[in-house]
Amino acid sequence: MTTLTFPLSRIEGHAQVEIEVQQGKVLSTRFKATELRGFDIFVQGVPAEQMPVIVPRICGVCSTAHHVAAVKTLEDAFGVTPPPLASRIRSLLLLGQLLQNQATSLFIFTMPDRVGAESLFEMDEIDQDHAVRFQISRNALKVRELGTDLITLAGGQFIHPVRAVVGGVNAGIPAERAAAMLKRLEEGLPLACELFDTYWELTQRMKDRIGSWGDDSPAYYITSTGRVKPDYNSHEIRVMAPSGECCEIFSPRSFREILEFSQSDYSYATKTSYKGGVIRANSLARANMTAHMGTKVANGYLHRLRIEFGTPAHPIMLFDLGRGIELVYAIERAMQILEQPLEGEDTEVAYTPHDGDGYGMVEAPRGPLIHHYVIEKNKIAKAEFIIPTVHNMRAIERALQVVAERYIQKDQVDLELERAVGRVVRAFDPCIACATH
Amino acid sequence: MTEEKNAPKEHSVLPRFAVLQLSGCAGCEVSLLNAHEWVEKFELTYMPLVSSAYDVPEVDILLISGGVRTDEDVYHLQSAVKKAQRVVAVGTCALSGGVANLGNRDEVRQLFLMEQHRRHVPRLLPKSRPVDDFVPIDLYLPGCPPTPELFMGALLDPQGYQASLTVCQECGRKKLKDMKPDHLLGFQKGAVDSEICLINQGYLCVGTSTRGGCRAPCTRAGHPCVGCRGPSNVLIEKGSQAWLDTIQRVFHSMTNVPEKELHDELLSPQLALFLFQFSDYDGGDRPPRPKEKVL
Repeated sequence: MTTLTFPLSRIEGHAQVEIEVQQGKVLSTRFKATELRGFDIFVQGVPAEQMPVIVPRICGVCSTAHHVAAVKTLEDAFGVTPPPLASRIRSLLLLGQLLQNQATSLFIFTMPDRVGAESLFEMDEIDQDHAVRFQISRNALKVRELGTDLITLAGGQFIHPVRAVVGGVNAGIPAERAAAMLKRLEEGLPLACELFDTYWELTQRMKDRIGSWGDDSPAYYITSTGRVKPDYNSHEIRVMAPSGECCEIFSPRSFREILEFSQSDYSYATKTSYKGGVIRANSLARANMTAHMGTKVANGYLHRLRIEFGTPAHPIMLFDLGRGIELVYAIERAMQILEQPLEGEDTEVAYTPHDGDGYGMVEAPRGPLIHHYVIEKNKIAKAEFIIPTVHNMRAIERALQVVAERYIQKDQVDLELERAVGRVVRAFDPCIACATH
Repeated sequence: MTEEKNAPKEHSVLPRFAVLQLSGCAGCEVSLLNAHEWVEKFELTYMPLVSSAYDVPEVDILLISGGVRTDEDVYHLQSAVKKAQRVVAVGTCALSGGVANLGNRDEVRQLFLMEQHRRHVPRLLPKSRPVDDFVPIDLYLPGCPPTPELFMGALLDPQGYQASLTVCQECGRKKLKDMKPDHLLGFQKGAVDSEICLINQGYLCVGTSTRGGCRAPCTRAGHPCVGCRGPSNVLIEKGSQAWLDTIQRVFHSMTNVPEKELHDELLSPQLALFLFQFSDYDGGDRPPRPKEKVL
């Protein structure tokens, strides 16, 4: 038996892929998360009200999602409902997170695969077409920065934001700052569309070269976004069967009754199943499970995706295209919110902390993120973080099995396998710091 | 875009740097991505988050983020520093373990043993450790994470970086002599006045003792400073008790908060979460970190 090991890069965190082969037959494909800090363990005993500041440190890429989820969890435990303005500002925060993340995944993580480069930062150094590629990398960083600036505007700082508080947010957004951001988003929208058009075209070319959009059999899908249009400040989770039927709707409080979790001895990350089957979260789940994008340009792209691939669509590289649709959506939707006044109303409601049990959720860029805290004497007695990447673990391993079988023959291994492993894993955009936390 | 900027970069003249990420959250790397002026001035040779390179090559500058949590972290750390002219420890985790240091508390350490049934993963060390427990460091860049501006300072000209002594001096909120809270509000409680000092409003802000240079993004946004940049130069080579005394003096003069309440809050675990790096700075088993080496 031979074990092939593939170190991974251009994903968040430490992970590797191992493929076991015997006489050309693929015995197993393993996606190994190789780090652990133990947030669920070490937050035990800390004051509950500190969670919105501590848990963003689970992940510097997804910190905003954890920040908002923590606040919502405490609000659930304390029985608090934030005022409408606070919800709008939190939505803006989550759109900044979406924009930042999808730009990072599209351009920093996966664009290099499409042009045969090691990284975005070397793309301008490749002689052939170098001017074009230079432009891509500069514009990509510009669009990504719109997301981080939006988080800074709504959250105080862009990596571990601070402005969502139990009961609301700590202040509104002054009109002149909102207007300045709006103007930059207006200018950024055509740039984002142009980049996404290029990305889509390069993805099509990559597909022509490898002969597949990423075949794998249909799976269950899971998301908490809205049914009719996207909503990342979400409340209910849905599961869709491979056929496209909605087969489950549940609240974060009942996640353990619906989802199954298993451990392995080769990874610090847990894996989710649904009725014993493989389940997928992230952009393609949302593209399959939301009727419209609710904004003009993004809706046009979703329409194009559905015409080309039908619905529900299953090929793996459509996760990448789904992220581009959301990149455009995040800009358009943030512009709509910034056009409304974001100050001059109540930003928070008073509350009394008490012991109890709270569940909070957001639709993070990678899927539904649930936090659960048990609070005793104002301190955390138990904490659970249900991470969307964990839902994708089996889907990633199954997709790796497909590419391994494609590129490993009885007497040879096609070295395209190395690139294929990277492409497959990056399509799911796993976050290992979150998955292991 | 000018013609000149479109010209290909000349490899030979650009200093080379690498980013080694140990056990952390990638927040430092994300902050570095926002400091993208380095794209013109440096050649990035290794940073797995953004580039498919699997070994640290010979470099002029090595940035290390994250704490040392596993045997694999130790191996990567020790191998990488041999290739670097200059080693910079970035972020609170690399300096003191960061929030993950909470896992070093005796009451929770046992729980980590439950993770030890796994076989094919890097082994966890008994405790999370700072990088200078293992290798010598040329420059420390504290912050959770350091701002993009601080990253550029560390890469280009650490000595020339202009910073105030404390976060307080960079905050710009008005301090009022006649506004003295009777009790502490803790860290987070509802709406915050946008102009007035957070201590005047009753928040447990430690920006008066925390190292400047970040330009106070948290306090400007209405959140008390939690001290992620560590102690100011006045306190950096002293023990954590000196820091505690300083904070207490500030609250004595600016508030009417009863001594016991103040003392209890300052010693509460919630403060310890972020302020453990102070106690770490005074050395423990290793010599104090000299202030000349901290940006």
